Amino acid sequence: MAAPMELYCWKGDYGLPSVDVDCLTVLAYAKFAGAPLKVHKITNPWRSPTGTLPALKTREEGSLSQPSKIIIQLRKQKYNADYDLSAKEGADTLAFVSLLEEKLLPAVIYTQWVDAKNYVDVTRRWYAEHTPFPLNFLLPNRMHSRQIERLRLIRGDAILEPEEQLEKELYQDALECMTLLSQRLGSHKFFFGDSPSSLDAYVFGHLAPLLKIKLPNAKLQQHLNSLENLQQFCSNILLLYFPSDSREAPSRNTAVHTDAGDFDNEPHKRRNQILSVLFAVAAMLGYAVLSGIVTIHSSRSQLEEPRHDDGDEDDEEQE
Amino acid sequence: MSLAAEAFVSQIAAAEPWPENATLYQPLREDQILLSDCASSLAVQAYLRMLGLPVRVRCRANAEYMSPSGKVPFIHVGNQVVSELGPIMQFTRAKGHSLSDSLDDVQRAEMKAYMELVNNMLLTAELYIQWCYQNTAAEITRPRYSSPYSWPLNHILAYQKQWEVRRKMNAIGWAGKSLEQVYEDVSQCCQALSQRLGTQPFFFNKQPTELDALVFGHLFTILTTRLTTDELSEKIKSFSNLLSFCRRIEQAYFESQDRDSQSGALDYSKGPSLM
Amino acid sequence: MGTVHARSLDPLPMQGPELGVQADDLDVGEAEYEPQQEVLENKDVVVQHVHIDGLGRTKEDILTYEIADVFRAKNLIDVMKKSHDARQRLLRLGIFRQVEVVIDTSHGVDALPNGLDVTFEVKELRRMTGSYNTMVGNNEGSMVLGLKLPNVFGRAEKLTFQFSYGTKETSYGLSFFKPQAGHFERNFSVNIYKVTGQFPWSSLRETDRGISTEFSFPIWKTNHTLKWEGVWRELGCLARTASFAVREESGHSLKSSLAHAMFIDTRNSPILPKKGALLKINQELAGYTGGDARFLKEDFEIQLNKRLIWDSVLSASLWGGLLLPFGDKPTSIADRFYLGGPTSVRGFSMYSIGPQSEGDYLGGEVYWAGGLHLYTPLPFRPGRGGFGDLFRTHFFLNAGNLCNLNYGEGPRAHLSRLAECIRWSYGAGIVLRLGNIARLELNYCIPMGVQSGDRICDGVQFGAGIRFL
Repeated sequence: MAAPMELYCWKGDYGLPSVDVDCLTVLAYAKFAGAPLKVHKITNPWRSPTGTLPALKTREEGSLSQPSKIIIQLRKQKYNADYDLSAKEGADTLAFVSLLEEKLLPAVIYTQWVDAKNYVDVTRRWYAEHTPFPLNFLLPNRMHSRQIERLRLIRGDAILEPEEQLEKELYQDALECMTLLSQRLGSHKFFFGDSPSSLDAYVFGHLAPLLKIKLPNAKLQQHLNSLENLQQFCSNILLLYFPSDSREAPSRNTAVHTDAGDFDNEPHKRRNQILSVLFAVAAMLGYAVLSGIVTIHSSRSQLEEPRHDDGDEDDEEQE
Repeated sequence: MSLAAEAFVSQIAAAEPWPENATLYQPLREDQILLSDCASSLAVQAYLRMLGLPVRVRCRANAEYMSPSGKVPFIHVGNQVVSELGPIMQFTRAKGHSLSDSLDDVQRAEMKAYMELVNNMLLTAELYIQWCYQNTAAEITRPRYSSPYSWPLNHILAYQKQWEVRRKMNAIGWAGKSLEQVYEDVSQCCQALSQRLGTQPFFFNKQPTELDALVFGHLFTILTTRLTTDELSEKIKSFSNLLSFCRRIEQAYFESQDRDSQSGALDYSKGPSLM
Repeated sequence: MGTVHARSLDPLPMQGPELGVQADDLDVGEAEYEPQQEVLENKDVVVQHVHIDGLGRTKEDILTYEIADVFRAKNLIDVMKKSHDARQRLLRLGIFRQVEVVIDTSHGVDALPNGLDVTFEVKELRRMTGSYNTMVGNNEGSMVLGLKLPNVFGRAEKLTFQFSYGTKETSYGLSFFKPQAGHFERNFSVNIYKVTGQFPWSSLRETDRGISTEFSFPIWKTNHTLKWEGVWRELGCLARTASFAVREESGHSLKSSLAHAMFIDTRNSPILPKKGALLKINQELAGYTGGDARFLKEDFEIQLNKRLIWDSVLSASLWGGLLLPFGDKPTSIADRFYLGGPTSVRGFSMYSIGPQSEGDYLGGEVYWAGGLHLYTPLPFRPGRGGFGDLFRTHFFLNAGNLCNLNYGEGPRAHLSRLAECIRWSYGAGIVLRLGNIARLELNYCIPMGVQSGDRICDGVQFGAGIRFL
């Protein structure tokens, strides 16, 4: 037996073992294949051996970072969840994984990172709260620009702006993709028979965040909720393979309500408004004092003169 | 135009029949067009021929910039301009023409998935070999891409495009792959396609579908294009059922119609041959 | 450092009548003014020294040309006139903020009794001036940064840089200008630029990146400019609904052209002239120094002004142009001529005359346009002598035509084509003069001879610009 390999992943939340799509895929595959991995759940990508997450650290081959490479590596170590698949099913796996990456992944990136409300309210807030200081100022923005760039390059557009037309196109493709997956799954427990394979890992990785992370702008989630078998599929995997994480679900979910979100923001909003007005007034007064428009005399007997001085100096200013 | 107005216009367009003067635009055949563009263009032409819709092919040096999405080929039908196979499929379906009506839901899901497989693996591999593999990029791709332009614009445009493609490869994780790995991926993809095809004449039994058009476009172009090495076409030749599939479609849809038409200028059986 | 001592060009001192009036005596009281004035005007003087005080980085050799004329002055009035001229010439160099002239009698060992010293006290411009603006308009905001370095190497060279960073586009321009020492009208300049433009009448977006060098020189009464320009042009559609003809023009092209321009301008002012004439002829030959575009382009502009009774001015102008493509490539939409609008044939929408496709105007390869104006002061002359003088009323008659060279039957057919279906308009309006460069117009126009496809602007039309028909 080879020495246990180490897997670095994003931390989990919302009842999921990890919040990141790629990390979920790798974790699910590792569970399906029964690979004994030492899993490090971290929130600082700089601590991972490759600088990105997920990352697999092996003794012989160094560190790998892409899900496809990690799965290939695990397969080489004889942890193969696709062992029982026929050649045709293997071909189907390749095809459906391509379908996921071309049609569903752009929409998932869009809804989490490009849609303004979702990004600010949920995604950025989660990353800002969970990454250690001082990264929490830099990292969410960097990831944001990187994800936007990734989406732009995948689509081959010159510029990418969150707008209605783009959203419509992406979501339409994604809805169609989910419907197709649902049709392919039918009433089976997993895509190929009774034991899960790598395709199940990929599908789980892409759908579970949509299911569990509640977003304000939830068009994708609504469609997913209408596809019963996919919902069942995800919850099933969570229950069977990640029981400890799903138990944490209820406590976190109640904290994230869209109404609660607004209500939480309100006292902050009011406070911010008052603070900014006070700051502006203080700045103006400071400038007035420093530039001599307003002079403050210390003695009380000369209370009349400051006002007189103000008048004169104001006149001079106007000239 | 607002979304509502666009939807209204496309509804009206959907109601119109397919005109006689529909035109397909692609880069110049002899000197300019690249492997990936030729494959996409051939796929669209095959698709339209399978549907029995007439289309003329016009070559323009600036086809890539004329296209509304920046990708070739694109078709000009009536006063609508539609680019890339996916939207063209939707467009023809709105006019009532479709090849996949007889498929059930599961089969349609598989067809869509395999089409994405070809896009994801074959097309990306073609782009990689063209632009990221130094030999091909310097000897074939850059000179061809920049051939309609004069100095120094030709170098500027070629390097700009190369840079853009390399960034895309970076974003989807292909930048770290070596050429052998890319050939491996192509092999895997062809194996999956070969598996799916089996001994049937077309991918979904008796009738050709969109998937057949797409696969034909890519495989045929790869087989008939000479690059710096023959390795890519060798990978495909090792699957005999794919070879006979290409031959079958070529005979059924391209050679017969060429025999009828008088113009010899449109020669589909030869892709861009180089060197 | 900083003064220029110049000896008199005439080695022998002039002997004049020994009336011995010193410059200091110029402040004599008024009773003696008349005879003194007469004496001074006729008195011969000699300019012995000319100083220029306050020079920093300016090199002296270019200045000697400008002030050389002062030495030739023969009497005091002449000295004053020539010094004034020299001051204008120094200011024209664009390197001084302020020039003051002081005329004094000569002092020192070799001072002649009728010798004068002329001193120019100059203040140089700062080494670098900058400006920063923000501009907002048309769904786009941008910030503009300008840098100007006058007199970079000391011989009136000027380097300007402008950079505009906007929400949608960025553009920049760098320009270097150098006049020939002593002949300011002979100069050359080099420009590098990137500009973007949007043309809604053609649904076209154009981005030009280019480099150009030009030489200007006067020959007798005319001004000539020779220019070489290399431009990388990128054309695109402004909207998805652009017509297919415009879509076909999208893409990149390279234009390398040699151009020559000549103009004679005897008008008293470029805006609202009262008399004089203007003749401008431009030609451009593209393609023989590289690039994709190959054509020969000619265009001319004539304007004649004559003053009539009661302070009114009659002005006639004629424009024309021809674009001849070489080879079998068609002309590009960015090179063709456009007609119509408040600065051209009034009464029609901006550049909305001539060949068009689905509402997008494609321009034409040959055109002519003519205008006849009568400018009068405002009725009842309000604000006379002040603000009211900036306004004029004008009555106009404009006509023009535009077509392409695709009839294939020779020049006669095209000429007759241009002569039929003429678009013309007439009307009246108010013109406001803005400084010496631009003018605003508010006109009531009645377009006539409208052909199908033209877009008209019937009734009130507002126009602002530099060059009007």
